[in-house]
Amino acid sequence: MKINNRVDRTVLVKLGQKTITVLTMSLILVLVAGLLTACGTETEVITSPEQLNREDAKIGVATDAPEFALVEERFPKAEVVYTQDLIAAFTSVAQGKMDAYVGNKLNMELAIYNGLQGVRLLDGTIGEGNVSAVAISPRTEIPDLKGKINEFLKQVKEDGTLDDMRSRWIDKRDMAMPTILEAKDPQLNLVVGTTGLSEPFTCYVNGELAGYDVELAKRFASWLGASIEFKLYDYSGIVPAAQGGDVDCVFANLYVTPEREKALEFSNPTFIVDIGVMVRDTGSQNGGGIAAFFSSVKESFEKTFLTEDRWLLFVGGIVTTLLITVLAIILGTLIGFAVYMVCRNGNRAANAITRFCIWLIEGMPVVVLLMILYYVLFERVNLSGVTVSVMAFTLIFAAAVFNMLKAGVATVGKGQMEAAYSLGYTDTKAFFNIMLPQALRHVMPTYKAQIKALIKATAVVGYVAVQDLTKMGDIVRSRTYEAFFPLIAIAVVYFILAAILIWIVNKIEVRAIPGRRPNGDDQKKG
Amino acid sequence: MIELVHLEKRYENSAPLVDVNAVINDGDVISIIGPSGTGKSTLIRCINMLERPTGGRIILDGVDICAPGYDVTKARRKMGMVFQSFNLFGHLNVIENIMQAQIDILKRPKSEAYATGMKLLRRVGLTSRETNYPDELSGGQKQRVAIARTLAMDPEVILFDEPTSALDPTMVGEVQSVIRDLANTEKTMLIVTHEMNFARAICNRVFYMDQGGIYEDGTPDQVFDNPQRDRTRRFVRRLKVLEFTIDGPDFDLAGAETEIGGYCSQNDISSRAKYRIDLTFEELTYHILQPVIERVPVQITIEYTEEEENTEITASFGGEKFDPAENGDDFSYIVLQSTVKSLSHHYDPKAEQTNTIRVLI
Repeated sequence: MKINNRVDRTVLVKLGQKTITVLTMSLILVLVAGLLTACGTETEVITSPEQLNREDAKIGVATDAPEFALVEERFPKAEVVYTQDLIAAFTSVAQGKMDAYVGNKLNMELAIYNGLQGVRLLDGTIGEGNVSAVAISPRTEIPDLKGKINEFLKQVKEDGTLDDMRSRWIDKRDMAMPTILEAKDPQLNLVVGTTGLSEPFTCYVNGELAGYDVELAKRFASWLGASIEFKLYDYSGIVPAAQGGDVDCVFANLYVTPEREKALEFSNPTFIVDIGVMVRDTGSQNGGGIAAFFSSVKESFEKTFLTEDRWLLFVGGIVTTLLITVLAIILGTLIGFAVYMVCRNGNRAANAITRFCIWLIEGMPVVVLLMILYYVLFERVNLSGVTVSVMAFTLIFAAAVFNMLKAGVATVGKGQMEAAYSLGYTDTKAFFNIMLPQALRHVMPTYKAQIKALIKATAVVGYVAVQDLTKMGDIVRSRTYEAFFPLIAIAVVYFILAAILIWIVNKIEVRAIPGRRPNGDDQKKG
Repeated sequence: MIELVHLEKRYENSAPLVDVNAVINDGDVISIIGPSGTGKSTLIRCINMLERPTGGRIILDGVDICAPGYDVTKARRKMGMVFQSFNLFGHLNVIENIMQAQIDILKRPKSEAYATGMKLLRRVGLTSRETNYPDELSGGQKQRVAIARTLAMDPEVILFDEPTSALDPTMVGEVQSVIRDLANTEKTMLIVTHEMNFARAICNRVFYMDQGGIYEDGTPDQVFDNPQRDRTRRFVRRLKVLEFTIDGPDFDLAGAETEIGGYCSQNDISSRAKYRIDLTFEELTYHILQPVIERVPVQITIEYTEEEENTEITASFGGEKFDPAENGDDFSYIVLQSTVKSLSHHYDPKAEQTNTIRVLI
């Protein structure tokens, strides 16, 4: 019997080549992206808000933020652009994609203080400021949560704790999180929604959640005698999450707006946020030359990975991404295979149900499926975002595996089964000993392509409060205010993770599937 | 022994088997012949239960294998099947193809399976191909491996489903000789085939299938030389006599030549004789009868007689008298006359086909 050792070596050589390709590609990407950000174009220098009231001006505001009305009123001629997160907004202003951004002045000041370049703030504030408060889920099971929060807020205001917090987080920009006593023998568990995306209210410091709102939440839990658990969302996802009862309340510097008040209850104000205007700073743009470019690259690298051990966040994200992907691959393969086995002999009901499910799963965008599972189907069930993500991607992968098997078996043809039957094989034995080894040969290339697609597709799990690799990149970007390094790093990591998974699958393939591979050098033997 | 009792197989739109009755004794070598679409393949696929009969019974050694709850794999272990399309396992090489089922089904140790495999490969003349994969073999070699694979399971009955139909004419011989060799081993064999001479040479019984059943069952001599029933007679005659009508200038002459080729190989006509037949046919139709073909349909008959090794080509047609010696293309007529044994023209104004040209080769 022939067993090919050559395949192992080929795989290794291929992997080596792949790694080199990946590294070269990422290097080119890094250089091109760096050069692009270093260039800039000249525009009119803006010194007062009134200059922005012109027809070709684009002014950014955060999605669902009360600033929208303010901008409409103050700059009726300008076009309003919605931005997903702060870092995207700031980068857009710095790159000239937007003329200005109107929003939380504290966020902006802190960003510039922390080294955000290419932007500056206009003097003063506009409007009366935004009221932010704690949002309370209508579905919380903690009785009179709103009353308790208000009582707590009153108390911390009176005893000076709130002032102290304000002075530390806001005035002194001291990002150290004080130790807050955890409740002993907690009778309750308080689930708090936050974003981790709005410095200095809720953000990651030294790999831990910190900030004004986070401290307030911890103090409240301690005061309430409850244990505390944080869940992370985007600003666009946090209101639906609270509405659906995934969290008891939201401590995330969330502004009180009329729309939100329809969905959620709000406590008394926790903070009044000044509204500032950020514009592009053309003066600070510099050509700088190669040396300056490399030193800025070095600085970015340090900020992105080394400061506060931020690489640990990436590691955490990688672990989560891998966990979801690997579980989805294993479970999806098993389920897809099991369903195929049930449908194989043409059971009509099973086939009809399967066809319907696959039609449903494949018909909608991955992120929609994920959110339907999380926010609609399992709304009342307390399942973690990771669990729901694994479920969603398992379904997607199972559907793919089912289709692959079907196509693979069809390619091999009925004659092989008939030959096996006529030699005395039972149906099951013929399938496993004769049909499957041949079908898998056709399936494997698609299977590997699906794995690559899957690992990339998992980047949307941030929508359901999972901190995967992409989400961690967002979190780091929200501290460093740089798109460049985190994004490139994430891209490279995805390449590497995919290469590793494919390498493992290749290993298993060589071991598990007997006989000849359909393509490869070993075909020439004779 | 296999008994077929009122066997029936119906599909939604057709019924290839309506009522099949037969007793197949141990050691019988039976050729199943008949026009296409008369259920020959369906019959042997039913015997092997690859197709489930819709009615009737198949009794194998006293057991009804169509009975509900009967484990058909038991019956299949007594029977081997050789397919038209070989169906070798594509992921295994030649020797593995022969070993696999021995190991999986008969639980033979690898060494024994290998020894059996090599013995059978020697028997079909393919020891040198032991480690080749099926796609590296010619059609004839694949079919010989498939036969070896079937034999490795020690079947009592071997079913051949048109074993040489998918082969190049040059490879038919090697497979036939392997099957001929098997016919002397007391194994029961059922062979669906279109190769009549081959069928005649190796079998002791012939099933002529038509009208949804075994229309005539007899010895080869009876069925081929002295058929008892009408349809059999017509079928056998069609094997010996090739007839077609050239119905105008648009007739597919090249297609007719292919048919003649098929007829020649079916009747074991030597390639020299075949060349002469082709030449005569061409001279006749392309040149001599060209003016006639444009006017009236011409009926062509080709008949080969084994004893004298003669082939007679007859062209008959209506209309006014047309003697190629007088009216036709002179040059072609002279060429034809010089190559054939005899060439004659007959005119009978009273007959339906007034002109008859006979060429004896």
